[in-house]
Amino acid sequence: MTEPDHYKNTAAIQASLKKRYARETRFKWYGRLAVMTGFLFLFVLLADIIGKGLPAFTQHFISIDLTLDAATLGVSSTPDETELFAADFGAVIKRGLRDTFPEVSGRSEKRSLYRLVSAGAEYELRDRVIADPSLIGTSGPVWLMAHAEAGSYLKGQVDTQLPESDRRVKDNQVAWLDELRDQGRTESRFNTTFFTAGDSREPELAGIKAALYGSLFTLAVTFCLAFPIGVLAAVYLEEFAARNRLTDLIEININNLAAVPSIVFGLLGLAVFINFMDLPRSAPLVGGMVLSLMTLPTIIITSRAAIQAVSPSIREAALGVGASRLQTVFHHVLPVAMPGILTGSIIGMAQALGETAPLLMIGMVAFIMDVPGSVSDPSTVLPVQIFLWADSPERGFTEKTSAAIMVLMGFLIMMNAVAIYLRRRFESK
Amino acid sequence: MSAVSVTANGTGAVDAQAAAGEESAGFDIEHAEATEDFETTGTPFVDNPKMSARNVNVYYGEKHAIMNVSLDIGQNEVIAMIGPSGCGKSTFLRTLNRMNDIIPICRVEGNITLDEEDIYTSGQDTVLLRARVGMVFQKPNPFPKSIYENVAYGARIHGLAQSKAEMDEIVENSLRRASLFDEVKDNLDKPGTGLSGGQQQRLCIARAIAVSPEVILMDEPCSALDPIATARIEELIDELKEKFTIAIVTHSMQQAARVSQRTAYFHLGRLIEVGETKDVFTMPRHQLTENYITGRFG
Amino acid sequence: MDDSFTMGQHTSQQFDRELEAVRTKALTMGGLVEAQCEKAIEALVKGDGALAEAVALGDLPINALEVEISAECMDILARRQPAASDLRMILSVIRLVADLERVGDEAEKIGRLAAALADSRTRSDFVSSPRHLGSSVVSMLRDALDAFARLDVEAAVAVAARDADIDQEFESVTRLMLTHVMEEPQQVKNMLRVNWCARAMERIGDHAENICEEVIFLVRGSDVRHLSIEEIQARFAPGTPA
Repeated sequence: MTEPDHYKNTAAIQASLKKRYARETRFKWYGRLAVMTGFLFLFVLLADIIGKGLPAFTQHFISIDLTLDAATLGVSSTPDETELFAADFGAVIKRGLRDTFPEVSGRSEKRSLYRLVSAGAEYELRDRVIADPSLIGTSGPVWLMAHAEAGSYLKGQVDTQLPESDRRVKDNQVAWLDELRDQGRTESRFNTTFFTAGDSREPELAGIKAALYGSLFTLAVTFCLAFPIGVLAAVYLEEFAARNRLTDLIEININNLAAVPSIVFGLLGLAVFINFMDLPRSAPLVGGMVLSLMTLPTIIITSRAAIQAVSPSIREAALGVGASRLQTVFHHVLPVAMPGILTGSIIGMAQALGETAPLLMIGMVAFIMDVPGSVSDPSTVLPVQIFLWADSPERGFTEKTSAAIMVLMGFLIMMNAVAIYLRRRFESK
Repeated sequence: MSAVSVTANGTGAVDAQAAAGEESAGFDIEHAEATEDFETTGTPFVDNPKMSARNVNVYYGEKHAIMNVSLDIGQNEVIAMIGPSGCGKSTFLRTLNRMNDIIPICRVEGNITLDEEDIYTSGQDTVLLRARVGMVFQKPNPFPKSIYENVAYGARIHGLAQSKAEMDEIVENSLRRASLFDEVKDNLDKPGTGLSGGQQQRLCIARAIAVSPEVILMDEPCSALDPIATARIEELIDELKEKFTIAIVTHSMQQAARVSQRTAYFHLGRLIEVGETKDVFTMPRHQLTENYITGRFG
Repeated sequence: MDDSFTMGQHTSQQFDRELEAVRTKALTMGGLVEAQCEKAIEALVKGDGALAEAVALGDLPINALEVEISAECMDILARRQPAASDLRMILSVIRLVADLERVGDEAEKIGRLAAALADSRTRSDFVSSPRHLGSSVVSMLRDALDAFARLDVEAAVAVAARDADIDQEFESVTRLMLTHVMEEPQQVKNMLRVNWCARAMERIGDHAENICEEVIFLVRGSDVRHLSIEEIQARFAPGTPA
């Protein structure tokens, strides 16, 4: 063997160094590019959703001088509640509108005028009067919710350059709205209806609350079922079950279950929970049960991984001081595995939160106006609501769709925040 | 190369003659059948054994990990188990408190007694056994809980303390005996995992002695520690042998020589030689022991 | 190399080399000491003054070698922490070189006395009376070193037994000197010198016996110092198992 020529080697290494560093720099830039592309897509998506959705959080009101005389309402001078309930507040509003724009004549023009105000305005007015019957007989300006089309004009979403036939806000309505605005009789307020109402045919009256509660109830059912069952199954399979063909089979099946299309779970829920067990259709109870079926494999798999990742030395230590296997698992293994289990569960729950297909199968796609009060009331969930609104042609619903997506994402972020909080707590212990 | 062969000739002759009197010297350990009658050299049995193993065989599935090992562990002695990696010394140690039970493919045959009671009968409760035969592991493995909780845990699950004051006493005494108390007394609520490696290992020893076991098994307790921490543990072992019987597996022959009264040498699943530590390290009787102790490849 | 000695080498070949070096040096030192003894006795018996002077000076390299070997042994002890046979090897080498150094001193003593005797120009036949004792001692030393080199316990036991003969021969030399003293009282000083030489030879025999005991310790691991030769023979003579 000849002595290596150290000088020659150094030179050779130096020559190759430049190339290697260049390759490294290039690779770094590819990576940055990839990350930036990802961020760009995310940014575009978010900007689009937020841009479209933000207007949905405001709502326009129109101030009209109304005279609440008993005659127009069709009630006695001192009406009781039932009487007021049946009173014709629509007539009062219509008269108020006609008085504001006395030049309006003709049936179609009048109808067009009436459409400035939301169909829900009369009910709101009714509620106000029922709350304070002394209002009857008074007159004065009252703020009424604008119709969705009128609202969208006031928000500046309507391009008046378009030919009249191509838009839903007609020229005469534009003129009236301009006049009202010039008189300072329009106002933009925060859209509380969106958070306090259920679904509606009228965009300005449609809210997210029913779907939000539906989602909450559904997720609560899912969590209550899937988390304990999943964690216990994982603990049993990981810590207690003998390794044999049966447990292998179970493991394979759980893994396969995780890959089953979610709509299949919907079919199963329809067949078993609704048709066989006769549970109520469209209810968060059944939705939660179906989603927990779907989430279980995810929770079991991630929990098993988390339990496996617990250092065997912890188990040995516990067994070594004479802890039983159950004590070992519950005192030592689970607390250490809990952050991992929670992460897996949250991923599973997030999946469940965004799931639509299986819920369609069990009737949670119905048009539900009322906020559900319990897990057995018919309801819908956020993603289904988004799906429904996205399907509606009215402009008002387009922005509602985006707004609902924002709420859904807010919900997800909150869930993650809770998960992170719980993790921190478990980890610091 | 010639210098090396002279060495082999020269020093080799010593050992060849040393072993000449041993009938087992020619025993071909590498190819011996498991069933073949193999006699352990030296003195595996003592007069008043705390634990004794007779004809113990351990199988991991198909693998025959421990072959027909018989060994006594005397009252209040420190017995060291040495041998090359994979020789079965750790496996044997773990059969002594049935830690191998948690490995499903592991099967133990033979007879192991603690105070003359068989620990492998079906009636023997492993929880009770492990309370009587404690264990300290290779890697310091404190629970991810406070120092206090680490020590109190065993006593708590076994219900050894009736009140908080009693528990405090158990924790303090255990920490004192593990000569850790002075270092941690102001931080008992800090996590045990925040201590240094040597402190963690002493915490693990405190945790083991908090249950007042009769025997403490130590599986390479110092392999992850620096020499100073190792010296402290060795000092501790010396003190603990007043109260406990200790079996220690170690990779460090010097450590075995320093802490133990008797030394057992394992090789390929067999117990080759047992004897007084001072004899084993100056004048081993079996060729394989000699090879291992002097650092020769046989 | 005998194949039945299946002892492997150390995993650390450097350790092998160090052990071998120290052993070789000890045997080299043994050779030097042996030659010193031979020369000293020759100088005494032949009355060779020049040779005697050379012997008296020849102790220096032996002392230097002793220091060197001791240092190497200490180095091995500190760095290798030898155990079992290696430990016994190092220990017996340390003891061996101590014995050899003493033997060297005795040879130097004989050399000085031989030089003094040669100077006194009193050629008498009594000067050559320890001739036989001398050759016995030298051959005993040679055989002891041989046994050490070959790690031969049987030979070591046999050589150790020869110390009794040496002691007897020293006794007879002393008696012979006593008779000479009565015949030629004016030569007492020279006769005492001769007797001191014989005494030195007897001491060399004792050291040779020590060397034999090191061999037994090294090979069999048991310390036989301070045992009688009968006990040693009973334990380690051929045919008795260890």
